[in-house]
Amino acid sequence: MNHSPFTLQAHGIGKSFISAQVVTPVLHDISLAIRPGELTLIAGPSGCGKSTLLAILSGLQRPDQGCVMALGQDLGALAPRELERFRLQHTGFVFQGFNLFPALTALQQVELPLDYLELPAKEVHCRAVQALEAVGLGSRMQLRPAALSGGEKQRVAIARALAKAPELLFADEPTSALDATNGQIVIDILHRIARERGTTVLCVSHDPRLIRHTDRVLAIEDGRIISDLHPHLRPVNATGPQEHSV
Amino acid sequence: MVALARLTLIHEWRRFLPAMIAVGFAGLLQLLQAALVMGIFSSASVYITGSTADLWVGYPGTQSVNLGRPIDAGVEMRLRMDPDVLMVEPFRWVDADWRGARDTGGVSVFVSGIDAGSQGLMFSRVLPTSLRTRLDEPGSVIVDRADLGSLGVKLGEVASINGHRVQVVGVTSGLRALGGVNVLTSLATARQLEPTVADDRMTYLVAKLRDPSQTEAVAARLGGASAFGSYAVWSAERFSQRSQTYWMFDTGAGAGVLFLAAIVFLVGAVITSQTLVAAVVGSIREYATLNALGIGMAALRKVVMEQALWVGALGLLGSTFLACLLFALAHSHNVPVALSPIAALAWLLLSMTLALVSGLAAIRTLRHADPISLLR
Repeated sequence: MNHSPFTLQAHGIGKSFISAQVVTPVLHDISLAIRPGELTLIAGPSGCGKSTLLAILSGLQRPDQGCVMALGQDLGALAPRELERFRLQHTGFVFQGFNLFPALTALQQVELPLDYLELPAKEVHCRAVQALEAVGLGSRMQLRPAALSGGEKQRVAIARALAKAPELLFADEPTSALDATNGQIVIDILHRIARERGTTVLCVSHDPRLIRHTDRVLAIEDGRIISDLHPHLRPVNATGPQEHSV
Repeated sequence: MVALARLTLIHEWRRFLPAMIAVGFAGLLQLLQAALVMGIFSSASVYITGSTADLWVGYPGTQSVNLGRPIDAGVEMRLRMDPDVLMVEPFRWVDADWRGARDTGGVSVFVSGIDAGSQGLMFSRVLPTSLRTRLDEPGSVIVDRADLGSLGVKLGEVASINGHRVQVVGVTSGLRALGGVNVLTSLATARQLEPTVADDRMTYLVAKLRDPSQTEAVAARLGGASAFGSYAVWSAERFSQRSQTYWMFDTGAGAGVLFLAAIVFLVGAVITSQTLVAAVVGSIREYATLNALGIGMAALRKVVMEQALWVGALGLLGSTFLACLLFALAHSHNVPVALSPIAALAWLLLSMTLALVSGLAAIRTLRHADPISLLR
C-alpha cells in the first residue's frame, strides 16, 4: 500500500546516450515528485530531454542512475515482463501520432487493450463506450480512423488509454499535431481526467498554449529542471518560468 | 475479443494479396506437379489397376510391370491346384514396333496379350466386354483413343506390329502408358508377334481368389513353392506400388519433383514473408502503442502469426479452387492426373508450413515495435 501523497517519484535520475563512441548526457540528476489528481506539464525546448524523462518515468526506458517509484513500486526492480504487466494494469499513454489501427472502428480501438485485461466481454464493451462518451465521441464510435478528424483521432487515442482506468496517464506532445481548437479540447479532457478521476496525468509538450491549462509546470532545459510552477496559484511570469529547486 | 488480425486482413486486403497469391500459386504448382507425376506414374501400373486380378505371378525381382521376363507357363497348374484360387489367366507382354497407316515412323508399343473371353481379368476395368470379345478375331487390336494420333491410325484402319498386319477394332480410354503406347490384343495374336519366345513361357500369370481379403496370405504361401522354376507372387496392390515406386524413385523423377517442390516452397516463403514483413512495418507504430499500453510482445506475435495462418488458409482456398478447375480440364483432355489422400494431406501441411515459416520470419520485425520510438 502506498502511503505517500505522491504517485510518481524520481530520485537522482541520470541518462546519457552513446552515439559513435561519443557520450551525450541527456538528463542530469533529476528528482521530482508528482501528485495524483493533477495535470503536470513537463515543458521545454526541443532536445532538452523531456521525452526521455517521460520514457523513464513511465517505465519505457531505464535510467543510468537513480530510481523511479511509481505507485510505490520501484520500476527498476521489475523484469521486462513485469514492467509490461505494470503498464497494462496501471498506465495509459497518449502519443503525438494517434497510432490507431486503420481497420478498427473507434469502439474496437478502445476495446482492444481492454481485452488483454481479461475482463468479461460485457464490461469491456461498457468501459469502451463510457470512455468514448467521456471524450465526446459517443456518436462516432462506429467510425474508422479514415472518417475521423485529427482531433477526433486523438480523442479516440485518449479514450483508449483512459478505458483501462489507469492511475498514471502519460501524454507526449498530445496537441502538437492539432489546431488550436482541437488542442484546447484535448488538454481540457486530460485536465478533467486528472480532476475527476484522481489520475496522475503527466504531459510533455513544448506547446506554450498548454501552460495555463495545467496544474503544474516543470520547465526543463539541458537535462535539468529549471522551474516548478503552479500556474493557478500564481500568475504566469510573462518573461519565462522562475527558478525553483525541486 | 477484437479480432485485430482478421479485421486488418479484411480492411487491408490489398496489402496481403501478394502473400495470398504467393501461397496460392506455390501450393497450386506443388499440387499440380504432384498430381501430374502421380497421374503419369500411376499409368505405369495401369495393367494392374485396370484389372481385377488379386494376384500377380512373374519373374522374381521384377521391379515394374514393363520389365517382366517370361516364367514357366506350368506355374498356372500350380496356381489352379490351390483351393483359394478361383481363376487363373495368362498375360503376355510384348515390346514391339508399330507402323501406322500414315507415316509416323516406328512407334514403340507395349502389346498386352490378354484373355479375350468375357470373364477375362486383365483390363476388365477399362475394357467393356463387348469390346474385349472383338479381340477374338486374329490380328485385332484395341488402343487408347488419345493414342490414335501418335499411332497414325483411325478406328477400323490397319497397321503393322513387328511386321504382322493388325486392325484397330476398338478404342477405349484409361490405357495411356509411360514411355510408349499400350496396345491390347488377344493372347494368340500376341504370341504371333513374338515368335522367339518358347510356347511354354509366359510373362505373367494373374489370378482371382475366392476371398480377396486373404490375398497377402495366399501370395506368401504360393510364393514359397519352387516346383516350376523361379517365379514370384505379389498381391496386385503390392505389385502396383512396386511399379510406381520404381518409376518415381529409381528413374530419378521423384528426386526432380522433390527438388522443384523445394524451390517453389522457398520462392513462395520469401514472397509471403516479405509481404507479411511489409504489413508489420506498416502497423509498427500501432503495435508499439499497444506495447506501451502493456500488451506484451508475445500477444503481438500471436496477431502476426494469426495473419500468416489466415493468409495461408485463404491462399490454399484459392489454389484448391483453381486446382479443381485444372483437374477437370486435365481429365477432359486425357491428361493423367491423380492425387492420393496422403499426398493431398502432405500438400496441405506443406502449404501451411510455408505460411507458418513466413509468419515466423515476419514476427522478427516486431522487435522494431519499441514504444520509445514513438516519443519525440
